[in-house]
Amino acid sequence: MKALLLPDLLLVLSAFATLGLDLFMPRDSKAPFHLAWAGALAVFVVLLFLPYDQHAVFWGGYEASGRGLMYKQLFALSAAFTILLSGSYFQSGNGRQPLAYQGEFCAIILLATFGMFTVVSATDLLTLLLGMELATIPLYALCAFRKGCPLASEASTKYIIMGSLSTAVAVFGYSFLYGCAGSLRFDAVLAYATQHPTSPLLLLGVLLLLAAAGFKLTLFPFHMWAPDVYEGAPAPVTAFLSVSSKATAIAFLAVLVNGPLAPLHQQLQPAFLLLAAITMTVGNLGALKQRNLLRFMAYSSIAQAGYIVLAFAGQGAMAQTTIFYYLLVYAAANYATFFIIAVIGKSRSEEIETLQGLGRQNPGLAAVLMLAMFSLAGIPPLAGFTGKFMLFATAAQAGFYGMVLFAALNSTVSLYYYLLLIKEAYITKPASPMPALAMSPIQRASLIPLTGAMIMLGLLPSVSTAIRNILLG
Amino acid sequence: MNGPTLLTAIWLIPFFTVLASLPVDRHNHGLIKKISLLGNTINLGLIIWLTVRFIQSATSLGTGTGTTATVLHFAMKMPWFELLNIEYNIGVDAISVLMILLTGTVIFTGILASWQVTDQAKEFFALLNTLVAGVYGVFISFDLFTFFLFYEIAVLPMYLLIGLWGTGRKEYAAMKLTLMLVAGSAFILAGILGLYYESGIASFDLMKLAQVDFAPSFQLWAFPLIFAGFGVLGALFPFHTWSPDGHASAPTAVSMLHAGVLMKLGGYGCLRVAMYLLPQGAEIWMPLFLVLVTINVVYGAFGAIRQTDLKYITAYSSVSHCGLVLFGLTAMTYAGMKGAVLQMLSHGLMTALFFCLIGMIYGRTHTREIEKMGGLMRVMPFLSVAFVLAGLAGLGLPSLSGFVAEATVFIGAFANPAPLNRVCTVLAVLSIVVTAVYVLRTANTVVNGPLREQFKHLTDASPMEKLPVVILLFTIFGMGLLPGWIINLVNGAIDPIFHKVVQQ
Repeated sequence: MKALLLPDLLLVLSAFATLGLDLFMPRDSKAPFHLAWAGALAVFVVLLFLPYDQHAVFWGGYEASGRGLMYKQLFALSAAFTILLSGSYFQSGNGRQPLAYQGEFCAIILLATFGMFTVVSATDLLTLLLGMELATIPLYALCAFRKGCPLASEASTKYIIMGSLSTAVAVFGYSFLYGCAGSLRFDAVLAYATQHPTSPLLLLGVLLLLAAAGFKLTLFPFHMWAPDVYEGAPAPVTAFLSVSSKATAIAFLAVLVNGPLAPLHQQLQPAFLLLAAITMTVGNLGALKQRNLLRFMAYSSIAQAGYIVLAFAGQGAMAQTTIFYYLLVYAAANYATFFIIAVIGKSRSEEIETLQGLGRQNPGLAAVLMLAMFSLAGIPPLAGFTGKFMLFATAAQAGFYGMVLFAALNSTVSLYYYLLLIKEAYITKPASPMPALAMSPIQRASLIPLTGAMIMLGLLPSVSTAIRNILLG
Repeated sequence: MNGPTLLTAIWLIPFFTVLASLPVDRHNHGLIKKISLLGNTINLGLIIWLTVRFIQSATSLGTGTGTTATVLHFAMKMPWFELLNIEYNIGVDAISVLMILLTGTVIFTGILASWQVTDQAKEFFALLNTLVAGVYGVFISFDLFTFFLFYEIAVLPMYLLIGLWGTGRKEYAAMKLTLMLVAGSAFILAGILGLYYESGIASFDLMKLAQVDFAPSFQLWAFPLIFAGFGVLGALFPFHTWSPDGHASAPTAVSMLHAGVLMKLGGYGCLRVAMYLLPQGAEIWMPLFLVLVTINVVYGAFGAIRQTDLKYITAYSSVSHCGLVLFGLTAMTYAGMKGAVLQMLSHGLMTALFFCLIGMIYGRTHTREIEKMGGLMRVMPFLSVAFVLAGLAGLGLPSLSGFVAEATVFIGAFANPAPLNRVCTVLAVLSIVVTAVYVLRTANTVVNGPLREQFKHLTDASPMEKLPVVILLFTIFGMGLLPGWIINLVNGAIDPIFHKVVQQ
């Protein structure tokens, strides 16, 4: 049973080993970088071989369960891809200034990932809060990693202010829960919620927690910071924010809604539906006019968050499976896009126009971009289609057919801007010849599994079945 | 090869064709085209074999007239996504077989007609083959999830096909077409999920769902969603506006495939999903759709009169003729449904021929404005004769396919005694006159009259170009002169649907 703690320990170990190695190596050494991504991948591999049907609680507050292990896999993979993605940002290119302090960067990513591990391992509200903070505070530093860049400072400042505010709101919410249940433990909260599912104090506390999660998940009306932060932060950090950080918020909600707050589902349902509907609309409408790829991805990820929250309107195995499945699908497509942005941004810039002529100049990369956009838009036979279908099926199962129609039409709007990127890459002819693109072996090697995932996740039925089986224990 | 394998092969071969052309050097257009042609030739061979086997199997099983349940041939089921009881559930009935035959013919001739594509040929043929794989997939799917999946696969490649290789306002047209069709599928999606959960059996199996009596309140909202959703692709008024722009901007083979086959998916879905599964909804909503479809037929014909661009004329005539498919369905009579299926086939062949010829004429004259042409009969007699014949098929001249189909549709429509149906039928029949006006005027202007100076050096079709035209003309005449076997097949397939929809 002790083995269930192995991945967490290995992760912390990798983080400190990276920091330690960085101390003793010369400034421009690549060793910490390689150690960091190898460490994250090793954590993932260890997670693959752990038993999912077992359950253990350590020190009365740190739990390892099938669901936790599954989410940890996503976090570990996401950390590995972020670190791999960041590699090229520490080298100088035509389009941008190189970043410095690679060792610290990688270690911070790993430490934030440990915070995410804690969120899915929590059995009481305090651990949950600690996990959320550990997952967020390192990101403040990462956002400001482009030192001396005013845009980055602005992004970081905005993120700190909004983040602290949301933490404050969350703590306020926890206090209500504690006040009601008289304990921070999940089982005590569950017992209280079962007895008093309509208690106004409890509901108020839950709404405050929802607001805190909404901040990380960029749900309307807490999404305002996202475009600026996504644009100002270095692109790998943006990728990390859009995948890992969002997945943490989703995990946070999933832990609460399927655990201590399960009896409140009926009361929360309208809130989730409303948040989903407004968020996807705001994201989709916002994305229409964007010219910067990172801002574009910010709005796209706001809309995607809206779709995921739709699944919270449902309950049970189907809804939970869908949520995790869609996170996987979304992560694959997002990382693929960010790798392409990294390649293009290195010799050009991060504006949409720089995609022009990609279809002729680099057909392979353009094809991957097209697959990623189609997957995000939910076009078959890509994973995004199966994911969206399951999301909509979850909403339909709960009886919200109108919402299904609304979300599907929203998805049509999103297709418009995803197609705009494809149009730039394939149809629009560049006014002047674009500089040639160079892909590093790491980028190439990362894009292959991501592309494979975008295609195979949608076709292999075993994935969704396996997720459900793990969730059912 | 057993039946299900054959069906699977038919939609997989286009995908393999794409894969086979991936390693080819991008500048080796010849090889890419040959691979594509080879794949589709094999596929056409398999499809003809399928048709022959289907006819044998249908005769031996004795699924002639009078059956009350759709009998699937070469059926197979295999669980796919266990979570939602999604199955890879395939099979064919006569309608599917005929539509697959139509698709095979049109894509084969379409590949021949796009022999002159050299710009990014690899991507062009890859997208074209992906699209056609989707179309085959729709026609063999009897699971609503896979049906919908293939439907979307068939729609999306159109964006790049029009946007990259099209002409005129191609980017606008491509975007409009894609978004309108995808919005249509949003309606279908909501409807399909409704069918799944409201059926109480949690299944996407079309045949199982057909045995469920859905609650009238559900049918009331689900039917218009699904019917209108598919109707968008069938160019149902007022959702038809993507069609003229899209067809006019698309390159030749894409127009052929889109107008010839893809628009039929709309009618097919309306019949197979909306009407078959939700007969009570159909009964309630049909008067509204009847009126809309009548507007289609009449408005399309008048729209064609107003146009001067050959492709726009054909596109509007497609709106009118595809309207007849839906018109046959909305009649809710036996002959009407039969006519609708016949019209799908007839219009598919005819419009493919039309767009094919227009592509060839445009490739020579570099204009599609009919006013700028004239006397083409003198320099390109083959193309001109074929053009006139295509026009005559369009206006329903007996001995050509259009007559068989349109006559059946109108007879079927008039067979419904409701006053609204009678009035609408009379109005729709009048559109034939309008059709005659624009067809004859267009043919006359383009083919006859004085030959312009700049066209004197033009040449007639090369043997390579004649081949698709001859094949399509052959099938049009074939359907016009020997419709018996097709009608027999269609009868067998329509019987159970009619039984369910009308007699309940």
